[in-house]
Amino acid sequence: MHIPDGFIDGKTAATTALLSAAGVGLALRQVRRRLPPRRVPLLGLAAAFLFAAQMVNFPVAGGTSGHLVGGVLVAALLGPSAAIVVLTTVLIVQCFLFADGGVLALGANIFNMAIIGAAGGYAIYRIVCRVLPGTRGQVAAVAFAGWCSTVLASICCAGQLAWSGTVAWPVAFTAMTSVHMAIGVGEGLISALVLLAIQRVRPDLTSEVNGGEPSQPWGELVRYGLLAALGVAVFVAPFACSWPDGLESVAAKLGFEHKAVQSALPAPAPGYHVPGVRWAVGATALAGAVGAVIVFGLALLLARSLVPEGEGDAHLTKP
Amino acid sequence: MNAAIQVSNLSYRYHDGTEALRGVSFPVAPGECVGLLGPNGSGKSTLLLHLNGLLPEKLGWNGAVQILGQSITPDNIETVRRQVGLVFQDPDDQLFCPSVEEDVAFGPQQLGLSEAEVNARVQKALAQAGLAGFGHRATHHLSHGEKRRACLAGVLACEPSVLVLDEPTSDLDPRGRREFKALLREIAATKLIATHDLELVVELCSRAIVLDRGAVVADGPVTELLNNEELMLAHGLERPHILRHQHPH
Amino acid sequence: MIDDWIGHYHRHRDSSVARLPAAFKLGVALAMIVGTVLAPPTAVGWFAGMALLLLVAVALSRLPLLFLLKRLAWLSPFILSVALVNALQPEARGSWRAVAVKSTICLLTIILVSNTTPFSRILRVLKAAHVPGLLITTIALMHRYLFVLVEEAERMRRARASRTFKRQRRARWQALSTVVGQLFVRASERAERIYDAMCARGWK
Repeated sequence: MHIPDGFIDGKTAATTALLSAAGVGLALRQVRRRLPPRRVPLLGLAAAFLFAAQMVNFPVAGGTSGHLVGGVLVAALLGPSAAIVVLTTVLIVQCFLFADGGVLALGANIFNMAIIGAAGGYAIYRIVCRVLPGTRGQVAAVAFAGWCSTVLASICCAGQLAWSGTVAWPVAFTAMTSVHMAIGVGEGLISALVLLAIQRVRPDLTSEVNGGEPSQPWGELVRYGLLAALGVAVFVAPFACSWPDGLESVAAKLGFEHKAVQSALPAPAPGYHVPGVRWAVGATALAGAVGAVIVFGLALLLARSLVPEGEGDAHLTKP
Repeated sequence: MNAAIQVSNLSYRYHDGTEALRGVSFPVAPGECVGLLGPNGSGKSTLLLHLNGLLPEKLGWNGAVQILGQSITPDNIETVRRQVGLVFQDPDDQLFCPSVEEDVAFGPQQLGLSEAEVNARVQKALAQAGLAGFGHRATHHLSHGEKRRACLAGVLACEPSVLVLDEPTSDLDPRGRREFKALLREIAATKLIATHDLELVVELCSRAIVLDRGAVVADGPVTELLNNEELMLAHGLERPHILRHQHPH
Repeated sequence: MIDDWIGHYHRHRDSSVARLPAAFKLGVALAMIVGTVLAPPTAVGWFAGMALLLLVAVALSRLPLLFLLKRLAWLSPFILSVALVNALQPEARGSWRAVAVKSTICLLTIILVSNTTPFSRILRVLKAAHVPGLLITTIALMHRYLFVLVEEAERMRRARASRTFKRQRRARWQALSTVVGQLFVRASERAERIYDAMCARGWK
């Protein structure tokens, strides 16, 4: 999901850059304060690890293969702030060394994958961990959070493309979200399998307070949440809201249809009025909601099948 | 005269409770070259990490280790690390900078030297390690032998009086081994070399200490110890070929 | 696996472009990218100018043409998707052709810079641009160890594959996850040893 340059316009690039800079700045400050000096090289090594892990092909069908993105995995292992730093590092190196992902698009990529993907996914992970204790809970949480983070990041990406005028929102949203609902399954599954593999060899690495993060990361999560909310408000909400649509139909009824309704936010694509497309958007949103429930159930089943009864209960995550 | 290294009754346990070192004691005189031998798992690496204060994690005030007459304490840890140059087992762990120059410069820079002095030390250390002209090379692209020499250069740049090496010739091809041995011979510092390379010990060291399961089981002149076949075999070692063929048949 | 990405990165060849200072190259590249992104789709003159500049730079850089074309082909799925989705709509917003041209220009620019400039120089420019020290250190360490870890992963994967006799996907996923998990554990342990090595030479 690395957006190349040229797909998002100037204002989108600038806005995402600002949001990401704020998020990364917060993360760096948090890491500097909390991370024990002993763990500083681990940030760089975790970034190298993530890069190497992303290269591993998990065969799916025919010639296709799945890959780990790993935002939630790294967040579960090192905490949300360290994860943001690690993912930002990976994105910067991928951009400047391998030309993967655009330079101006870095802000958007960091926002989508580090802030929404890793920090957002981590919030979901922690909530689920609280509800489901033990190793089983952790595994299910990582699987579900991995899926959610993929889908949420793709929605933001769609919003950015739409706001740039590259692709109309209904099409972008429908296409990206449906594709990533499928990709997210792989992400969740691989993240869960890898976390379990680590837990079995070095349970101390998967327990709490690993990256120097406090057991209660809610303070910083709220800050990231605010940034995420801002981003969503700019890229997603105007499209997801039906008020511009409603406004136009009202204007038509009142005979003002010849007057263009100027708004600070861009109007939805002309194609929005095509009934088929609108239906597709609604259907995708519904599928997303239903999908979330189904994936949660699948995550529970996965955890149950991978983790025998009683394993890891001694390593209960602190609530 | 003070011993360069004085270890007195050093004991250490890992986190899971296993004893890594049990009452280890030995001196190393200034200028001496001592070989530290022992089977895998005997605690050699753990012992070496104590010699520059990396272990124990919480340094006490009455250390079991004295360097140049001074106990290692939280106060003088920086001085100790300048005096004791530790060359690690895996060169990739030690060469953490992207270019050879930057890596060798790391130590002098941490010492707060001026840029000119840093450069001078870097060039001198590279020459000493036989890597003159390698400054701009990327650390990742070096051969294994070159990496080991770069690690040595990085440590020499700090101008330590004591050199501690952990398995310096493992994984080296015969030529690399010969070159490294020649380098070590030229270095004037006190040397403690933990190694499986028994031939190296015979060629470079005057004294050998055998460690097994965390305790010192032998400490004496190299030829005496290494010729003692029973002792060698009892502690997971063997009599090196170089000594075997010195014996008249 | 390694072949996937080794095509993304070319070891340096000396050329007039390679000898230019990194800050200059990055500055010019940034200006080109910003200009291209901000240019309206009708600014054909700008695009043509950029294309010409890039062609000259490509020639001077002595980078293999096949390599460049392969890297540019990475863009194709993105461009195709945009073209496809915009084709689904009669009144497409923003021409996909403009997107294709812009993204190709920007990508070629960054490919040229990244393949004619040692990464440590780029990092120095970032440091001078006041990117926070902790981030710079992390990026430097990542760059240093990413090849090490990729090779380690490849060795582990091959060792696993040598002892995997089941062709089922499930077994392979289990094996690969174990490899990835083990890679993290090793990376974590290596990080501790690097910390020790840094402290041993006076790092505070």
